[in-house]
Amino acid sequence: MKRGNRFCVFTSNLIFGAFVLAVPGVSLTAAVAHEGHGMTCTETGINALNADVQAIRDGEAKTRAMKEMEAAQDMMAKKNMEACTSHMHNAMDAYEE
Amino acid sequence: MSNSFGSKAMRFWPMALLAGIAILAIVGAAALVTVSGRYNVAADVPHTQAVYWLMQTSRDRSIEVHAANIVAPDNLADPKRVADGAGLYAEMCSRCHLAPGTERTEISRGLYPRAPELGRGVDLTPTEEFWVVKHGIKMTGMPAWGVTHGDKLLWDLVAFLQKLPELTPDQYRALVKSAPSHEEMMGTEADHGHEDHTHH
Repeated sequence: MKRGNRFCVFTSNLIFGAFVLAVPGVSLTAAVAHEGHGMTCTETGINALNADVQAIRDGEAKTRAMKEMEAAQDMMAKKNMEACTSHMHNAMDAYEE
Repeated sequence: MSNSFGSKAMRFWPMALLAGIAILAIVGAAALVTVSGRYNVAADVPHTQAVYWLMQTSRDRSIEVHAANIVAPDNLADPKRVADGAGLYAEMCSRCHLAPGTERTEISRGLYPRAPELGRGVDLTPTEEFWVVKHGIKMTGMPAWGVTHGDKLLWDLVAFLQKLPELTPDQYRALVKSAPSHEEMMGTEADHGHEDHTHH
């Protein structure tokens, strides 16, 4: 392999490696950021998060968080746990603002 | 004339009767809910929005009314006051209300209603904050610090609260480090008496 080609392969491996590491890293960071809140789609988790959302100061973020929590509860009733968790994360994003 | 009076009376009494029945029904329903034990007082089940609004509005109005005659000292920006307040905050408040750079604690996650994260700022004036710190709030876990602490220390705490939302974690830690110990502050207050020039 020529020296230039070897450099290209090394660079592309580096970029690919960084991407592979970065994708789980982003979700891990989001998970860690929301770690302090009960983020499981269970009655206890929903209740805990609802209590957190009630404590947000009145405003646009609170309204959005409340809508997300309603959607999360709907999804839990429909046994769609993935969508429920996603709405809970959105509610938490509004909380963190 | 008498006919007109008679027709007015005919209209008034059924309306009064209906209103009376409605009031009795509301009071009866409230009494039933109270004595039946059906309303869940568990702290891990939030109030409904209506009950939460009722309690929040009562609390906010009560604080506003009771703090109306309090006069704040004019040196709340004094750095010594702010530093002393930081020490008190770290000792008395940070476990529930958190602080810059700290994670949520077990107690902050379990309290209901949640203790506000004061680093995010609150909608209270300094005099309202003083009233809350001094007298506490029923059924929230907020204690009345005025039972054990004099006004001077409580105003130090309020002075610090004005700065808290602007502080970085490093600035917060530095302020706490620069503060005298809690025991020292309590001792100083006992020596110098209470700064109580306000009506509350």
